[in-house]
Amino acid sequence: MAAFPLTSRAPGEVIFHRGVVPVTVARFLAEVAALAARLPGEGPVLNFCADRYLALVGFAAALSRGQTTLLSADRSPQRLADIARGHGARYALSDTGAALPVPVLSPEAAPGDAAPNPMVPAAMVAAIGFTSGSTGEPRPHAKPWGALVAGARGAAERFGVTAGMSILGTVPAQHMYGFETTVMMPLHGGGAGHAGVVFYPSDIAEALAGLPAPRLLVTTPLQMRALLGSEVALPPLAGVISATAPLGEEMAAEAEAAWGAPVREIYGATEAGSIASRRTLDGEAWEPYPGMRFEIDAEGASVSVPGLPAPVPLSDRLEWVGEGRFRLEGRLADMVKLAGKRASLAGLTRILTGIEGVEDGVFVAPDDLDVNPRARLAAAVVAPGMSAAAVVAALRAKVEPAFLPRPVVMLPALPRDAVGKVSRGAIVALAWKR
Amino acid sequence: MRHGGRPNLTTTLSLEAEVARLIVEALHLEVTAEEIDPEAPLFGEGLGLDSIDALEIALAVSRRYGFQLRSDDERNHRIFASLRALSAHIEKNRAS
Repeated sequence: MAAFPLTSRAPGEVIFHRGVVPVTVARFLAEVAALAARLPGEGPVLNFCADRYLALVGFAAALSRGQTTLLSADRSPQRLADIARGHGARYALSDTGAALPVPVLSPEAAPGDAAPNPMVPAAMVAAIGFTSGSTGEPRPHAKPWGALVAGARGAAERFGVTAGMSILGTVPAQHMYGFETTVMMPLHGGGAGHAGVVFYPSDIAEALAGLPAPRLLVTTPLQMRALLGSEVALPPLAGVISATAPLGEEMAAEAEAAWGAPVREIYGATEAGSIASRRTLDGEAWEPYPGMRFEIDAEGASVSVPGLPAPVPLSDRLEWVGEGRFRLEGRLADMVKLAGKRASLAGLTRILTGIEGVEDGVFVAPDDLDVNPRARLAAAVVAPGMSAAAVVAALRAKVEPAFLPRPVVMLPALPRDAVGKVSRGAIVALAWKR
Repeated sequence: MRHGGRPNLTTTLSLEAEVARLIVEALHLEVTAEEIDPEAPLFGEGLGLDSIDALEIALAVSRRYGFQLRSDDERNHRIFASLRALSAHIEKNRAS
């Protein structure tokens, strides 16, 4: 049976930076073994460590015990509890306190005497990522170990990640994009991760300055916009990787000029992982990762990923442009993506109309959703006696914050066209008239 | 106007109103600046802001007041606890 070791890195290489302390692969393996010995006997484990190194050690320790890790990019207590309950978590690993329906362990990293590099079956489900289903419930997407390893190796080759490269991620380790680039990459691709949590432009600048060159910044269009807008100075970069939303050509050009490094984008989804990349300024053609097989037809597109059992349908429309490359034609009309998370407008509308006191309602996306990183959805609502604030408060319990409508337009009835269909145009005009 | 040392009450109140306007403009909020309860939480249950908004506020603050917000964990929660807390933090750190 095929198997891969926990890490393919050499014992003396640096795999992570914790503050100013470089952690070698040998030390990492000793810490994993020590934590693994303390873990409960059965998984799955819900790992929501904010510290990226602790997230990695926790994942590796669980893996070496044959336990699956549940990854939730959404750290809200309600979502974590839903996943813990709904997907059989036996315990959780976290470096921050949280009230959950399962025991929560703190994964301190302290080395033991032994530092084995265990073999893990390629078919083992190492991690499960989640997306929001059409009614808001978490939907699981299993990641076999072999698929994760192949993805990390492919990405390292694609982006020229070498052993001595520092990788600063601004995306949580539990988001599939962050997991692949900042957890799996150091294990099997190359480079050394950064443990600390960075979010604001000054955090990013400070963390980069504390890391040895060459430096790779793994981020999002939203954070690139904030970095460029706040004009904080960054140390020299070897490269920038962006994902979660389309990056505008203008911003890519500005970033390349400001930081003197190529800006590349990853195209992917929680279900499939990273599947293609491009340098934004080289044009609209995406180059598939090694081994990916795309099926594109009039109905839509799907991708077969090495190690995944079935082709994964994509929520974008694709078109071949030659030389095995494709371009994105646009998203399927119902699917929206905000802050790195996807949702269905129909699903959000179902949640809205399910609220007590709401008689009718609909979610709509603005026309600039795909090009404006700050775009928000709007909702038109018919709910006599309810305020817009009350509608939002009720939605907050079931909808991720990024998808909460702004604005909410309260109406006596939804505008309909001549054939009785809800008029998106009329709602757009009401919502974004200012 | 500042009178050196600690800000007086008038300065604090007018800065609070100014920051409220900055937030409403930067985030295209539905509410007016006057409607923001200075003691209510900005994130989650109160004004209902999220992480996209946090980046927007950081950007607006760096442009208007010439300093950068940072995420040193607990301190950051305090700074964003309310309009009043954020305004006090700006008063203490502003470069302009």
